[in-house]
Amino acid sequence: MKTSRFRDLCVVAACAGLLTGCSSTTVNTVEPAVPTARREMLADQRVQTDPSLAKAVRVVGVNTATDAAGFLKVQVEVQNTTRSRKQFTYRVQWFDPHGMIIDTPTAAATPRSLEGRETAYITTTAPTPQAKDFRILFLEPVTK
Amino acid sequence: MKRSLLLVPLAALALLTACSGPKTTYVEPGSSRLVTTVDQVNIQDFAQAADTMVASLIDNLINPGQLKSGVPGEPALLAVSRIQNNTGQQLDTDLLVKKIRVALLRTGKVWTSTTIAFGGPEDPLAAEEQQLLAKSSAGAQRRPDYTLSGKIIEDRARAGNIRQAAYVFQLSLTKTPEGIAVWEDEKTIVKQGARPAVGF
Repeated sequence: MKTSRFRDLCVVAACAGLLTGCSSTTVNTVEPAVPTARREMLADQRVQTDPSLAKAVRVVGVNTATDAAGFLKVQVEVQNTTRSRKQFTYRVQWFDPHGMIIDTPTAAATPRSLEGRETAYITTTAPTPQAKDFRILFLEPVTK
Repeated sequence: MKRSLLLVPLAALALLTACSGPKTTYVEPGSSRLVTTVDQVNIQDFAQAADTMVASLIDNLINPGQLKSGVPGEPALLAVSRIQNNTGQQLDTDLLVKKIRVALLRTGKVWTSTTIAFGGPEDPLAAEEQQLLAKSSAGAQRRPDYTLSGKIIEDRARAGNIRQAAYVFQLSLTKTPEGIAVWEDEKTIVKQGARPAVGF
C-alpha cells in the first residue's frame, strides 16, 4: 500500500517537472568581452515592498544621459533571476528641479515580460527639458 | 426572544445587500489596474503608443536639433493630417493624437495649428478670424512647418483557444512644403488571451 502511494507521488512529481520544463524558457546571450560604450552609472535608491517581484525583475543598474536640447534619458538594466517567464509593468514619474511631479498625458503603466534569466533595458526619455529627476515603479500585472 | 429572532434575518439581509452592491471604483488612468481586452484597443494602449511616439520624436528629431521652425524664435508649427483607422473598430483617433499634441506642446518646441487640419479646421471660429485678418491686412498667415499623418492597423491570429490581436500604430512627420518624411515610427502592441471553453 505504502509502495503504491510512493509510486503515485513519484508519477505526480515527474508530471509536474515535465510541465515546468515545458513552460520555462531561459535566455543565452553573447556580447563583446570589452564593451566600447561607457555607461554613466547612477547611484540609486531602492524601496522594495514585493520581494518576489524584486527577484523576478532585479534592477542591475541605472544610467542616464542628457542631450543637447536638455532632455534627460534614463536606461534601467533589469534581469529576471528566475528560470521562468515573468510579466511586470512599470511606470515612470518625472520631477522638476524643485521636486514637483510633472504630469504627462502619456503616463501609463507599460507592460513588459522577461524570459528566464533574461536581461533587458528599459529606456525612457523625459517629457520636458525641465524634468531633472525620476522614479520608476515596478508592479506585478493586475489581470482583469 | 421573538424580537431577537427577527433581527437575525434582517442583519443577514443587510450584509447581503452590502456585499452584492455595485463594485464601482475610480481607477487612475495610468495605473496597471485598467481593464485589458484582446478584442479592442484599450485606453492604455493609446497612452502607451503615444508615449513611445513622443519619446521617439524627442530622441530622433528634437534632441539632435533637427526640428526647424519657419519663424525664428518660435516653436515649429504642426498641422494634423489624416490618421487612418484601418481596424475593425470605431476609434476616435484623437485618443492617440491629442496625447501626442499635448506632450509635444509641453516640450516647448512644437505648436499645433487648430485652423489648418485635414478635414477642416478644428476651431472654425479661429479659422474665420484668421481669414478676416489675412484679407484686411498684409499679415500673412503662418503655414505649418510639419504635418502629422498615420495609420492604425489591426492584425488577428488564433491558435487553439489562444487569441492574439496586434495593433500597429504608424506615424509620419512630413516637412512642408517639401513633402519629405523627416520622422517616422511604428509601435506594435500585441495582446493574447484565452477564449473560455464555455461562454456567451
